[in-house]
Amino acid sequence: MFISLARAAKFSLQDIIRNVWLSLVTIIILVLAFFSVNLLLSVQVISKAAIDTVRDKIDVSLYLKNDSAESDILALRAQISAMDNVREVIYVSKQQALEDFQTKHQNNPDILEALRELDTNPLSPSLIVRPSDINKYETLITNLNRLSSPIIESRNFDDQSLMLQKINSITDRVSQAGFVVSLLFIFITLLVLYNTIRVAIYTHRTEIGIERLVGASDWFIRAPFIISSLIYTLIALFLVRQFFTFS
Amino acid sequence: MINLQNISKIYQPNIKALDRVSLSIKPGEFVSLVGQSGTGKTTLVRCLIGEEQPTEGKITIGDWDITRLSKNQIPFLRRQVAVIFQDFKLLPKKTLFENVAFALEVAGKSGDKIRSIVPQVMKIVGLGSKMKRYPHEVSGGEQQRAAIARALVYQPKVLLADEPTGNLDSINAQEIVDLLKKINEFGTTVVLVTHNREIVNRLKRRVVTLHDGRVISDQAVGKYSL
Repeated sequence: MFISLARAAKFSLQDIIRNVWLSLVTIIILVLAFFSVNLLLSVQVISKAAIDTVRDKIDVSLYLKNDSAESDILALRAQISAMDNVREVIYVSKQQALEDFQTKHQNNPDILEALRELDTNPLSPSLIVRPSDINKYETLITNLNRLSSPIIESRNFDDQSLMLQKINSITDRVSQAGFVVSLLFIFITLLVLYNTIRVAIYTHRTEIGIERLVGASDWFIRAPFIISSLIYTLIALFLVRQFFTFS
Repeated sequence: MINLQNISKIYQPNIKALDRVSLSIKPGEFVSLVGQSGTGKTTLVRCLIGEEQPTEGKITIGDWDITRLSKNQIPFLRRQVAVIFQDFKLLPKKTLFENVAFALEVAGKSGDKIRSIVPQVMKIVGLGSKMKRYPHEVSGGEQQRAAIARALVYQPKVLLADEPTGNLDSINAQEIVDLLKKINEFGTTVVLVTHNREIVNRLKRRVVTLHDGRVISDQAVGKYSL
């Protein structure tokens, strides 16, 4: 058994080297097939990551009254944190809001000047609520609307749902298109591989006949083909991996 | 040794390639099987090597009934009944040495044994100095010698030669026939299928003549009579 396997490996290597052009073409076809599938996967991964980043940015702001006591705010924050579908509640204090505002408008001297004219900090503290499941966003809004607390100044829930719809429709379209294109690519890849195998067998048909005449068993004839295809696949995978690592 | 009892082979729809052929070949005999093209010579050879199964009749080699061989048994038959062809059937991407060695490799013989047997056999057929050449680098006669060497490494009981000289000039053809005679002298039964009148007449051995799928003559020391 071992001796046959070793011989099959020897024949396979001999065949790869002596049919060097056919071997090269086979490897190139495999590389292209793997490459196209990989490229598609990468595009899907990247688009998913992009959409997730945008989804992460979706939040709801509760603006609080300017003179709210710190303890009331923290109590409200705890209350909201305990609600369903809340991933995190970020407390932006008056001071923090002012700093953020200044950073945001650092290139606009007029606004900064106007701010300096005011002696006090005009910004109010706020709570930023991030939902854990973007699809249950509506429930969160309803819950937040029900919330009654004397320190809530205003609720900014407006155009988020529109944006969310847009994002959801883009996500759906990307994943639908991705699915169809994936199927198409898999189909093409399978066809190409099937054809490559047919070509390899066609090229070797005389040899296969002769080997059988000499008394080779089916296994002895097949084994070198199986080993060759393993070698081709490994080389192609290695090349594709190198490409994706370096690029 | 080889016994054919009422062998018929009918190809669909209704082409009778062999018609009730009965033939007995003794061990160590040298038999020429002659006949014009299309008389069933090659069909008979294909039945003897298990490539075809006769529609009717029975073929035995020694005690072995090979009429209905399973696919798994064919490799073993090939090691008992070796065959050479008009078109040599050498593996083009292997050297002559590798071609001969291949026959032993498929039988699972050890590397040491292969390295000792193959050069000996190559020397017997006169290819001792051309073992590393590829088939396309040597002449037709030499390719046929390599095919004979490959057939001999198993030390088969029977060597079937299906038109072995068909692609060769008369000098090369005579050399191949001389080689077959030499192999026969070592004790191997040789069945030579040919339509080369000159060769058959010079051999002065048993001649079986086929016509339209039937044996029409069987002479101990025969001549090409068609």
